[in-house]
Amino acid sequence: MSDAPAMTMPFAPALAIATRELRSFFRLPVGWVVLALYAALTGAVFALDTLRPGEPATMRAFFATAGILLMAVGPAVSMRLFSEEIRTGGIEPLATAPVGDLALVLGKYLGSVLFLGAILLPTLAFPIALAILSDPKPDPGPIVAGYLALALLGCLVLAVGTAASALTSSQTLAFLATLLVLLGFTLATSRLPAQLDPRLGELFAGWSPTARLRDFARGVIDPAHAVYFLALSGVALSVAWGAVRGRRTG
Amino acid sequence: MLNVRDIRHSFGPVHALRGVTFAQTRGEVVALLGPNGAGKTTTIRCVTGYLTPHHGSVTLAGHDLRKDPIAARQHLGYLPESAPLYPELTPTQYLDFRARLYRIPRRQRRLAIQKALDRCRVADVATRRIGHLSKGYRQRVGLAAALVHEPAVLVLDEPSNGLDPGQIREMRSLVRELAADRTMLVSSHILPEIEQLADRMVVIAGGRVLAVGSGEELRRAHAGGTRLVAEAAPSSGALDAPTIAGARLIENAPLEGNWRRLVFEPVSSLEETDILSALAAVFLLSGWRLRELRRDKPSLEAVFMRLTESAAEPSPKTKEAAA
Repeated sequence: MSDAPAMTMPFAPALAIATRELRSFFRLPVGWVVLALYAALTGAVFALDTLRPGEPATMRAFFATAGILLMAVGPAVSMRLFSEEIRTGGIEPLATAPVGDLALVLGKYLGSVLFLGAILLPTLAFPIALAILSDPKPDPGPIVAGYLALALLGCLVLAVGTAASALTSSQTLAFLATLLVLLGFTLATSRLPAQLDPRLGELFAGWSPTARLRDFARGVIDPAHAVYFLALSGVALSVAWGAVRGRRTG
Repeated sequence: MLNVRDIRHSFGPVHALRGVTFAQTRGEVVALLGPNGAGKTTTIRCVTGYLTPHHGSVTLAGHDLRKDPIAARQHLGYLPESAPLYPELTPTQYLDFRARLYRIPRRQRRLAIQKALDRCRVADVATRRIGHLSKGYRQRVGLAAALVHEPAVLVLDEPSNGLDPGQIREMRSLVRELAADRTMLVSSHILPEIEQLADRMVVIAGGRVLAVGSGEELRRAHAGGTRLVAEAAPSSGALDAPTIAGARLIENAPLEGNWRRLVFEPVSSLEETDILSALAAVFLLSGWRLRELRRDKPSLEAVFMRLTESAAEPSPKTKEAAA
């Protein structure tokens, strides 16, 4: 078998890693706890703030809370991606398999993104319920844009989490580092500009994720905003890739 | 099949490897021996591609590990020291994951997994969670995972580390079976086990190769080879000739009464058993009473200790500097 390695598709190992990661989330209690907590908390917000008689049928409150919760849930999902493998030594059989470092990073990241999809999936019941219960029916634009924003924010949070996880063997440290980087970046780009020279402040504010999320909440789907989240995710994944490569040189 | 050329690696200021070179032909079993901190695991990590050495090269099945890592690693099966696995998976699920990493097509995957499970005697626990298995079973699941793609080179780092005596025996017999038909690089500090298994040994200390050879070659080169030991009591005849029956007398020590311990070093090309027979005849013809005549092989442990202790001794220059 080794003399003629059967080639299937080039990204088969990355997909194998992603599938294993996704399945592991469902085989471990932590996966179910995260999923249940997210569904319960967002469900509570939906029931208390959205399903109000006489109020307009909008999911703004839900998306605002779901986004904040994602900032905490995302690092909890990503913290074990590499840290656990580094701590247990499981990274050795992985890093010595015929898998490129980039495929390894992308596989793990993809697994966590798919799990994020699984977390968001039950919340689709909320707009459906809103559409059934409210009259007039809700405008689908802001709902689609809101879910797109959640997905893009989730991708960014998980990418930063993947990078933090690749840099340490401690899951706690990876969790805290992800949270600090995200909060630090958000605060620096939303609060700091007001304290700075207007030109510098404008430059900082241009990097703010909150301003872009606000646009999504209004139902505005600007491709530039999507590129912004995806590009930042790419930068974070490059850091993760560099960390995995750096580990090989000791 | 495996060619390791002058690999060097440092962790910060610590030089873990200072130029390790050895080669391994197809079907050969080579053991890496060395005390703790000698550089065995770093060597293995460089050979498997987990670490990229700062200098030197590793060629695996004709593929340079630095230039063509994916192709090289496709030919490698590796069981790290602690056999890290995913406790939430069953052995079948874990092997399926590994088979997918090695791009084994779906049609062949099931057969490859079953073969590896059978070979490593873990088929009976194939559907139980790895986290619920004993250490011995987990080690064998790790071995099955290293074998699932039928690698050309199998690398095992301390395969019986942390196992109880029964598990060690089981693992040893399994590794011996696997060694019969594949190229294997194995590190261990259980010397009797390694001598039975390996065709050649590479002794490492301080990040350097101290010696390479079979057990017999190492004994001959570093512990003086086999000795023939007799315990005999003289009567009237004398036995003071320096060379008797193809063996040179190198030690003549008194024991209790008039018994003496005579140590001979074989110097002829005759088989050692023939020299022993000839020696027995000489003793009896000379009227000596003989109560024991045996062949004494220096233990591999003695060779190992001598090699590693001499490597650890500071050089005269270092001593002077220290003074």
